[in-house]
Amino acid sequence: MPTTKAITGNGAMAQAMRQINPDVVAAFPITPSTQIIEDFAEFVADGEVNTELITVESEHSAMSACIGASAAGGRVMTATSANGLALMWEMLYIAASMRQPVLMSVVNRALSAPINIHCDHNDSMGARDAGWIQIYAENNQEAYDNMIMAPAIAEHMDVRLPLMVCLDGFIISHSIETMELEDDQKVRDFIGQYQGQNTLLDNEHPVTWGALGLHDYYIEFKRGQQMAIQNAKAVIQDVSERFGQQFGRKYDLFESYRLDDAERVIVAINSVAGEIKEVVDALRDEGEKVGLLKIRVFRPFPYAEIAEALKDVKVITVLDRSTSMGAYGPLFGEIRTALYDANPRPLIYNRTFGLGGRELFPDDIREVFAESKRYLESGKIEKLFDFLNVRGG
Amino acid sequence: MSEYFEVRWHGRGGQGTVTGAKSLAEAVQGTGKFVSAFPDYGPERRGAPVRAFDRFADKRIRVHIPVREPNVIMIVDPTLIGTKALVEGVSDETVFVVNTEKDAGETKQALGLTGQTLYTVPANSISYRLFKREIPNSAMMGAFARACPQIISLEALVRESERAFAHLLAKDLVAKNLDAIRCGYEEVKSA
Amino acid sequence: MSDKYKLKKWQELAPGGVITEGGNAADYETGTWRTWRPVWCEDDCIHCLTCWVFCPEGAFLLKDGQTAGGKPRKEIEEIDYFHCKGCGLCVRECPVNKQGKKQAIEFVREET
Repeated sequence: MPTTKAITGNGAMAQAMRQINPDVVAAFPITPSTQIIEDFAEFVADGEVNTELITVESEHSAMSACIGASAAGGRVMTATSANGLALMWEMLYIAASMRQPVLMSVVNRALSAPINIHCDHNDSMGARDAGWIQIYAENNQEAYDNMIMAPAIAEHMDVRLPLMVCLDGFIISHSIETMELEDDQKVRDFIGQYQGQNTLLDNEHPVTWGALGLHDYYIEFKRGQQMAIQNAKAVIQDVSERFGQQFGRKYDLFESYRLDDAERVIVAINSVAGEIKEVVDALRDEGEKVGLLKIRVFRPFPYAEIAEALKDVKVITVLDRSTSMGAYGPLFGEIRTALYDANPRPLIYNRTFGLGGRELFPDDIREVFAESKRYLESGKIEKLFDFLNVRGG
Repeated sequence: MSEYFEVRWHGRGGQGTVTGAKSLAEAVQGTGKFVSAFPDYGPERRGAPVRAFDRFADKRIRVHIPVREPNVIMIVDPTLIGTKALVEGVSDETVFVVNTEKDAGETKQALGLTGQTLYTVPANSISYRLFKREIPNSAMMGAFARACPQIISLEALVRESERAFAHLLAKDLVAKNLDAIRCGYEEVKSA
Repeated sequence: MSDKYKLKKWQELAPGGVITEGGNAADYETGTWRTWRPVWCEDDCIHCLTCWVFCPEGAFLLKDGQTAGGKPRKEIEEIDYFHCKGCGLCVRECPVNKQGKKQAIEFVREET
């Protein structure tokens, strides 16, 4: 039986880690993800898990140790945020390219400067090209559920890639919310045993990891890696389906919220989806045809499925909680690409919001829908790209 | 967001305001309601004004934004009275629970309130009596139960807090905190 | 080079670039890189094995032998020209060559 608990997002991630019981966790603390490892360290100290916890001297070392432990044949996990993720950068690519299914909680936080500990998505968005599967979560329950699904996805033989579960710093990580914690044994049955491939500690079959591959081979390896992450899409759907059957909560590549017959839709990621749903419900009550498409899987990006889900929509507002300096928001780029071939092509525009933890209140979201209503009526976009809720306009 | 019952706590860093909001949420969750509780992290220094929030509902809570129009305002530190933040978003229906030794009418005046209901509780004295130091949380929770019986009864608050505290505190401290809750409930005065 | 080292398609590669066979550098023919060839002169060799130590390709092959006093020792057997890339380290390091009277390893230009 699941237990209903009021628990923080970080607490929920630590519980998922306890249930997964990884062989190795190597981590370095950084706000707002610190509590995940603090809680987990207690589980280690109390003997509730068999994990070797390595307290390293930096995030670069954390990811290096994770890669080594994974290549040695262990199921490996870690957690980080913002500048910590940035310090892992080169190792993120190596984990993915060496096809090590390392699992990581990324508690989204703004990158310096100015120093800021609050939520935005620049950290994980910056890592979007590193080859990791990225799954995002609206709330504590989704973050926990995503992590329970993570091993089965990352370790699948068609995939074998590292996976990050992203959740909003403070908004989710430090908020107590009512959620269902599933039964330990049921979770363990769901995720199964990990089988390392070509492991370093198999002395009977010595192998070399991390060899050279130049212009004669490098691109072939990258081609194979691209195939693997594309394979992840179907695997995520399968695992989500199986999770739904087992635990009753349904997940897909993204969430369609009141999209049927919707004319105006917001596309967004993570916790802000909760506020948007409230506003969508209120506007629907007022007779407006509005909806929300909430991204769950950002890498691999489900272009075709999203194009299908949005094919009858007339105006799309893409909300990016990150900035690609000198370019449009990363989510906007993907959504616009997904809909380039749509006929008729909807109006699509981009709004940046929430950097460094700036709140987006329901009134702000109402204004977004009011703007998209103007665009629907006039048939043209006045401003393609802009910031929301910023002083000075 | 009318279907949510919203509470805003005001205290200072180090007084356990955030813990108070979280403990209350855990207790209310135990009665079968959906809850959320979260702090408003600013400069995390001892003495700096701190806010924390609770939401209670009979359905899943989807919003995460700070509470702007609270049903209840919990003032953990009376020296904050006079700062504008305390009365932001206040309506005629807003209920105040203030940790103070002063008269309720006087406190109401100091806050510039008119029609609102205000409860006072000498949470610091209660805490000092029981713990020999000022940790006003549990007494404040007791006062909340007195102010908002529709959210949680004293009986449920004591029962659920005992369950929650048992994981965190030694036996004698659990008992003292439950006493503090009861005293907080009993010693409430209103205006 | 054997078929084994024909350039593979991406579908044929091991995930993550793992190499599952140890010591497979032995299969790689570096002998084609030579422009100069070391030639071992058995009669003048004192079997000190300095060339064997210095050779970066492991191209000096050894056999079991005996000292003049009858004690067992390793001796040079031959140069493996499949791997010898003609770097000349052996020629330079050979103590017999360094004395300058005789040459235990001669360095000759590869015939074209």
